[in-house]
Amino acid sequence: MPETKISRRDFIKLTSLAGGALALGQFLPLQVARAARDIGSLDDRGNGTISTLCEMCVWRCGVLAKVVEERVVKLEGNPEHPHSHGKLCARGQSGLMNTYDPDRILTPLIRVGQRGEGKFRPASWDEALNLVAENMLKIKRNYGPEAMVFSSTHNLSQPQFENLLYGFGSPNYGTQRSLCFNAMIVANLITYGMEEPDRDYSQLKYLILTGRNLTEAISTSETSALVDAIASGAKVVYIDPRFTKTASKASEWLPIRPGTDLAFHLALINFMIAEKRYNQPFVEQYLLGFDKLVEAVAGYTPEWAAPITGIDAQVIHRIAVEFSEAAPYALAHNGWRTSNFINSFPTERAIAILNAMTGNWGVTLLPSAEEGAGGLGQPPQPPYPRVSAQRLDGVPWKYPFVPLKIGIFQQMRDAILEGQPYQAHGWFISRQNPVLSLPDQQKTLEAFGKMDFIVSVDIIMNDTDWFADVVLPETSYLERYDPLVPMGNRIFIRQPVIEPQGDARSALWIYKELGKRLGLGDFFQYTDEEDYLRQELAPLGISLEELRLRGYVDLPEGNGGTEFQWSTPSGKIEVYSDALGKAGFDPLPAWQEPPQPKSGEFYLLTGKVGQHTQFGTQNNQLLHKYQDVPRLWINPEAAQTLGLKDWDLVEVTSPVGKVKVALQVTPAIRSDCVYLTPGFGHLSKGLRTAYGVGSSDSALHVTYVDPISGGQALSQTFVSVKKA
Amino acid sequence: MSDYKNIPLPERRRLRQKMIKKHNLANILTHWFNVASWLLLLPTGIAIISSPRLGITPLWWQETFRNLFGSAANLITFHYTIGFIWIFILLFNVLVGFRRYFVPFAVHRMLLDKDDIQWLMTKPLQMLGFMKGKELPPQDVYNAGQKVYSYFVVLGTLGIMISGPVMVFKNLFPPVVKQIAQPVHFLSVFMIVAWLFIHVYMGAVFPEEKEAFFSMFSGKVSAWYARAHHEKWYWEKIKEEMEWEDEVESQVRESIEGKRASDLPQSTE
Amino acid sequence: MPQKNHYAFVIDVSRCIDCRACLVACSVENKFPMNHTRIWVHDQGVQGEWPALSRIFIPYNCMHCDTPPCTEVCVSGATYKDKVSGLVLVDQQACIGCGFCVEACPYGVRYIDEKRGVVDKCNACVQRLEVGLPPACVATCLGKARMFGDLNDPNSEVSIALKNAKSVVRLDYEVGRTDTDPNIYYLNLAEMGGVKSSDSFGQVKQAALPREPHYTISEEGWKKVLVPLIAAGMGGAFLVQATFFTKQLIEGEKEFDE
Repeated sequence: MPETKISRRDFIKLTSLAGGALALGQFLPLQVARAARDIGSLDDRGNGTISTLCEMCVWRCGVLAKVVEERVVKLEGNPEHPHSHGKLCARGQSGLMNTYDPDRILTPLIRVGQRGEGKFRPASWDEALNLVAENMLKIKRNYGPEAMVFSSTHNLSQPQFENLLYGFGSPNYGTQRSLCFNAMIVANLITYGMEEPDRDYSQLKYLILTGRNLTEAISTSETSALVDAIASGAKVVYIDPRFTKTASKASEWLPIRPGTDLAFHLALINFMIAEKRYNQPFVEQYLLGFDKLVEAVAGYTPEWAAPITGIDAQVIHRIAVEFSEAAPYALAHNGWRTSNFINSFPTERAIAILNAMTGNWGVTLLPSAEEGAGGLGQPPQPPYPRVSAQRLDGVPWKYPFVPLKIGIFQQMRDAILEGQPYQAHGWFISRQNPVLSLPDQQKTLEAFGKMDFIVSVDIIMNDTDWFADVVLPETSYLERYDPLVPMGNRIFIRQPVIEPQGDARSALWIYKELGKRLGLGDFFQYTDEEDYLRQELAPLGISLEELRLRGYVDLPEGNGGTEFQWSTPSGKIEVYSDALGKAGFDPLPAWQEPPQPKSGEFYLLTGKVGQHTQFGTQNNQLLHKYQDVPRLWINPEAAQTLGLKDWDLVEVTSPVGKVKVALQVTPAIRSDCVYLTPGFGHLSKGLRTAYGVGSSDSALHVTYVDPISGGQALSQTFVSVKKA
Repeated sequence: MSDYKNIPLPERRRLRQKMIKKHNLANILTHWFNVASWLLLLPTGIAIISSPRLGITPLWWQETFRNLFGSAANLITFHYTIGFIWIFILLFNVLVGFRRYFVPFAVHRMLLDKDDIQWLMTKPLQMLGFMKGKELPPQDVYNAGQKVYSYFVVLGTLGIMISGPVMVFKNLFPPVVKQIAQPVHFLSVFMIVAWLFIHVYMGAVFPEEKEAFFSMFSGKVSAWYARAHHEKWYWEKIKEEMEWEDEVESQVRESIEGKRASDLPQSTE
Repeated sequence: MPQKNHYAFVIDVSRCIDCRACLVACSVENKFPMNHTRIWVHDQGVQGEWPALSRIFIPYNCMHCDTPPCTEVCVSGATYKDKVSGLVLVDQQACIGCGFCVEACPYGVRYIDEKRGVVDKCNACVQRLEVGLPPACVATCLGKARMFGDLNDPNSEVSIALKNAKSVVRLDYEVGRTDTDPNIYYLNLAEMGGVKSSDSFGQVKQAALPREPHYTISEEGWKKVLVPLIAAGMGGAFLVQATFFTKQLIEGEKEFDE
């Protein structure tokens, strides 16, 4: 269907709007407040409550935004949303400071100085988009579409980002996932046939929490569920080299040696098999290859594991006994950020298998709601052009088990640097900060140096934007529509709560407008965001107005009845993976000794805090106000050996970088480890609140690529510490 | 010279009937404006002081006024609004023509001299019934007691006028300044109130000063009163009168001489 | 006649994870300046010997005491214990920002907003209570540690929580005595080791342990020196005046002349 010329709606908008420096042919920004009044969300004075979705982290809680005179003044959790249950964490509550941040980018920016100088000039959307399209097409012409790299951390507008990427014809898709949970996802896919089973804490009696610092790496509803479970008497065994806030709430904290979670879980499996403490009927019926497992784990006794992990054999015995006795109301959490060590993948496999052995499926572990379900429609589009080039990140030709939509981001960056198997020339980045998130920051900046053209879409001048050639201002989540989100048997909407500020536009708009200029207009067959949503809703016969007013609609009764089957090749829970075996990898989890620091060196641990989200929130003034000053954690004994005191300025050196940071002497960490909260040490001076605060851990991280899951190994960087 | 008791009766009668102007209209209006302002400011001010720890104002007084104005904040707003009007009018009166009127007045009439000191040591005892025989030294238009009272009033008024706005413009001053302003304000007010007990008594109740009280309305006192109580001023006024008469006489004489030249009949006055 | 409420907070310390959602929620709801806070989490720091470590978090805000020392010293009547809700509130129009109450508070919950020159503190989101919503901190607490309600209502969540609690502690500055009768009741605080040392975090330094009420020197001076002085002065003047007046009355009106 050819792109329609200016529609009647656009014409009405044109004639009703005064001014506006926008050329004909572009559709004008939606008048949010007027539309909200039309459907009754706001009254005549611009007061009311609008339901939308948070974007301060990936949990995306439902939000009720209180609007007073067309300004958002308070955010509350939406009680109807399963991820918030009426609550918002510190980041969710601070969301409006993101929107009203004085450092927001409100016009497109075109670089005028050197890359990294931060000198930009404001430009119109026309000029900026034309420039971007011109450069992208030049790269496509000269080097092929694969020379254009696209990366974006998962966002609700991801379908349209992917549209752009696939329509353009590039295979190079980078997400942050390999820096985070590739190991967990791939392990679950192989074992259960799904990325991540859901967890149910309501009947939980015993939890083995490996890492997954839920009280600081907050996922609102799951964090609340954990606290509820503990208050109801559930026992929590928390395994972490640091005494985090979760450790302070757990029944038992095991300060395990980094990289040895695998040994611990293998020992549990070994012991439970030896004492037949597993759900035999369930195992017989639903597990594939259990007998092979029994053989393989025979040597992994608790006594074997004790010196490796630093946990007493007696403790491992006891936990195995307690865990199995609590089954099926027991759960071994599969973690979240599982890109820690080169053996993270088999660790995840061991955890998945441990759960399967207890038969807790359907009790504490549930099939996940599939993404993309809900029966939503989408705009029509032509098929994507065939892609002949290989992906730079080696998926799937080098890494057959990594899903295409996830990729291996650090490998992509390395390939850009090496120019193998071909040289990339352009980079399109949206809602992502690879300059601060990718390990080995120096390499990332060098890779940037290889680019002819870098364009970045963001709401604030973050580090990646600082080094870009063109920055396109996206509206913050409180100012935009995004594609709909099915959740369970409901569909939720993200809709604008206030008028977009300045000249910022939604990603849906940006991708479409850019797409048009790239000759990809046919892939974006919607006139505006509302039209897009109406097309999504069309098959369900639900009106957009109804959805906007309530914030969600219930889906019509689904067609149930089909017997649940794990989407593995055998249809069973695959303890033994043939696929892995055929690819030359271990079909069962086997012990892999992780590298260790030399004497005088430390494991550099990373983690989360409840007041920030990765690399994007440090400029939020409210979060900045209530954050802990980011310092390097070190154990008092280790500090004493080095002659260091609390608050000393120290120099931390890794094989790839060096940073200076203040010291925090605390007993809450093993003496062979140090810890730095990620997300600080911003390079962009455009972040006036965050600039100069703390130091970046990714400047120290050494790049690894797990051969099976493609995951980074974030804790496998060893550092030395001395007084600065 | 304070021998007014020796003046024969007929002369006393004549003097009692003759009136001398003591206060001009501006003074009278200002005085009663001040009284009116104080009648509004004092009760409301007392109602504002609510610290239970200091226990100055009874709770029923505070409650009455808060209910009258709706809230503690409204009561305060009323108090300082009247306060600012009061400050403005008083300052206007003093500062307009400050050098022409106020300074000479202050220098001439408000400073204590030897007679005043003597008077201060004698009068209070006489009022109690002691030292009946002693002659009081002559006084100016305001006697020594009134002069001393005025010092305290000026001091107190300045204290109120400075400390009050400090508490109103609360974002311009650090907390410690406001902590000091409170007792200064309070101290100034109640120092004046203490003196008011005496001022009102002496001005309105004490029988000798009855004429003084009425002079705050008419502006005039009898010559007898002036001769008895403010002798120095009385003789000043007499001197003025005589000078005035001389002046008039010389003018008439000039005009008569002028008329002799034109041979007109003598006109009588 | 409106029913008198006895509003109180009940906070289950075992459920607080120091996520600080409450702090941000309060900041947004009540719009106070960036260099102050109405509410904070008192962090005990890591206690114990490796590996037997422990750490508790104690959410903290105005205790809305039943016998608050702050309302005792307010000279302008700006801070008061509301007769209906029982909350300790500040009428910032009446407040002159002298700060006597800031020193008097044993918990350090009051501060002076320099820009406006007035005192500010937690008001239990009274503007939300009026429309039937709980305070912002309570509404968003992820761990459900914070509870708020009317202790006069036996069915309120606070009444029920207190009834079922294993241990209830109120913070006081002398063990065993709650002189100000604070209305934040802490559950499970005793089990978790009680209140020990203090810590401050981030950009906002806040008070730690409660202490005896402090009365500023100027406030003490006023109470001990000025008020007696003024009373003496006024009393003296009145007596002088009364003496002469009485004498005048006794002796009768003496005709001035003749």
